[in-house]
Amino acid sequence: MAKRSSSIATLVDRLPDPDENGMLTNIDKEVVDSVISEIHKGGRNSIRRLIDMLVEPGSGDDVKPRYALHCLAVYVCKLDDNGQQRRFAKALASQLGGDRPKAVQGYLVRQLQVAGGQEVAGTLGELLHDEALCEYAAQALVAIGDGAAEQLRKALPQARGKCRLAIVQNLGVVRDRESVDALKRAVLGDDREVRLAAAWSLANIGDIGSVDILLKAADAQDSYERIKATKACLLLAEKLLAAGSKAEAVKIYTHLRDTRTDPDQQYIRDAAKNGLAGARVK
Amino acid sequence: MQRRKNVTRRQFIKGAIGTTAAFTIVPRHVLGGPGQTPPSETFGGALIGCGGRGNGTFNAMGLEAEKLAICDVKFVGRTDNKMVYSDFRKVLERKDIDVVAIATPPHWHALISIAAMEAGKDVLCEKPMTRFIAEGRAVADAEKRYNRIFQVGTFGRFGASGNEGNVQTHKIIKSGLLKECKVVYIKRGGFKVKEWSGMVNATPQPVPKSLDWDMYVGPSPMKPYHRHRTGGTHRGYWDYEGGGLADMGQHYFDPFQWIYAKDDASPVEIEAYAPPAHPEACGMWGWVEMTYADGLTLVFDSGEWGKPYDRKEPRGVSMSDLDEESRKKVEAMPDPEPLVNFAEAVKTRKRAGGNADAAHRCATLMHLANVAIRTGRKLQYDPVKEEVVGDEEANRLVNQPMRAPWHL
Repeated sequence: MAKRSSSIATLVDRLPDPDENGMLTNIDKEVVDSVISEIHKGGRNSIRRLIDMLVEPGSGDDVKPRYALHCLAVYVCKLDDNGQQRRFAKALASQLGGDRPKAVQGYLVRQLQVAGGQEVAGTLGELLHDEALCEYAAQALVAIGDGAAEQLRKALPQARGKCRLAIVQNLGVVRDRESVDALKRAVLGDDREVRLAAAWSLANIGDIGSVDILLKAADAQDSYERIKATKACLLLAEKLLAAGSKAEAVKIYTHLRDTRTDPDQQYIRDAAKNGLAGARVK
Repeated sequence: MQRRKNVTRRQFIKGAIGTTAAFTIVPRHVLGGPGQTPPSETFGGALIGCGGRGNGTFNAMGLEAEKLAICDVKFVGRTDNKMVYSDFRKVLERKDIDVVAIATPPHWHALISIAAMEAGKDVLCEKPMTRFIAEGRAVADAEKRYNRIFQVGTFGRFGASGNEGNVQTHKIIKSGLLKECKVVYIKRGGFKVKEWSGMVNATPQPVPKSLDWDMYVGPSPMKPYHRHRTGGTHRGYWDYEGGGLADMGQHYFDPFQWIYAKDDASPVEIEAYAPPAHPEACGMWGWVEMTYADGLTLVFDSGEWGKPYDRKEPRGVSMSDLDEESRKKVEAMPDPEPLVNFAEAVKTRKRAGGNADAAHRCATLMHLANVAIRTGRKLQYDPVKEEVVGDEEANRLVNQPMRAPWHL
């Protein structure tokens, strides 16, 4: 093991040093490719050793192992071998949730965003309540796609603060219809950011049962919230129209056309009229 | 109609509506609807992003716009929320602001452009238009949904479209009569690759008291503060831009897009020659070759790393590439309509020459190049679906997750 560790360190040391400005301008593609290929041959142990070399930013020099780990993530994607990619992702995921510094775990999550798949969705889901990692975890999950909705849905009830916000928003990104009821409750909550995120999520899901709640949100206040809630209404109308739910779309457009009477809201009236024209309603 | 100075268009509108006599002679067109000219040519303006490009971008609007608000995340501690802001959302709530100039770092361009159009404002946005491809489509969708004016802050196409030779090239390509497009357009150098690279060994620094770092980071992944991530050198980080390629490319390829009639197209194949990219810092690359569906080849050759591009030689297009019948058809084609600048677009409600669709297709070139550099793979791209074909991991860079509460 000691021999292998020192061999990884030697390999990593062959990677380019930053120049006097901290940039990788003196980079040799062949050398980097060769080093990464060699590290990959070392399998799970090499990955683990590489991760051991990562430190919290500011507490040491880990420029080369960081670069190596990312290059490895890109490398396994190029192999066109799902097995290799899954093994790499699982090796990274196995180092999450423990006592490694959060900044290091965050870096691993971001590499899973590059190369991870459904096999790590459960591990990422467990980070959705971690204040330091939930944003990275949510972003990695939606980038991966497969398995994201289930993890986000499962984490929502216990989530607080920025983790809750990230989950509510990303349930909309992945268009999770099973979360509609929870999102409707969130639209009526106390937190403005969560209300807006939930309204957008319901719109992006295209939930036919959310017409009234979104129209009410859009009528609520004359402020940025009104602007964004109105956008949610228009987005929902477009989704509904595309899905063939014409009557509900027309209801949204008609409401906006008839209630936005202030001259400053002419553009919203016009958008609603265009929507009605698209639905062929006079 | 008498021109009114020192009164914003919206103030004038409010006044007109409150005055019966004025209302009778100031009908709906005070609102500047399609084909209408507002009676006042003075507009309420806001500048969001007050760094090095701020005033230049505001002045590039070419309007008599009174600067009613300035906004920057580095204004913490000096905001009055009347003239000076640190949160763009408060600026957009103001009804007396008609036009917004956006000169933030590019990771904010799409979101603020969209929010401004949602609030009824017209937008001039500094280049590059976006940070990744899906952002551009969302801006174009907002431009259409709200029927607002959008113009990207680069204007090369306006000059290019006035050149007789360029017009002929545009018409030849636009005609679709070329049996095989053999054009090879090579842009060598000028990409500022080293200049706008990022640091790979930046250690965290204390956040300055005047800076709202969380708001600066915005939709991008949260990272520790380092001054190199701000103040112009932000260009060297994937989180905020895309290196010199993204920063300079929209200047170079805005006229290219118009001349070669590619405002509604994107390349279908992209191949890069570059060393493995760093995960955070933009870095070195040699060249990128892109091919359009019609056969046109576009090459970026950095001249700053590796061997120069030598696969093909530059080649233009001329009438001699057409058969006799096709030549006659092209000669009979009317010249394209003159491009509408931002000021004229705002006043007439005609679409701006550098509108969101055109700007998005141009920005897409640089984004595709960077995706090829970052993935190290040859890409097949579907210009209609706007996604990489059969490459799930590459598509993670085409449409990147955003940090809540920010989303497209």
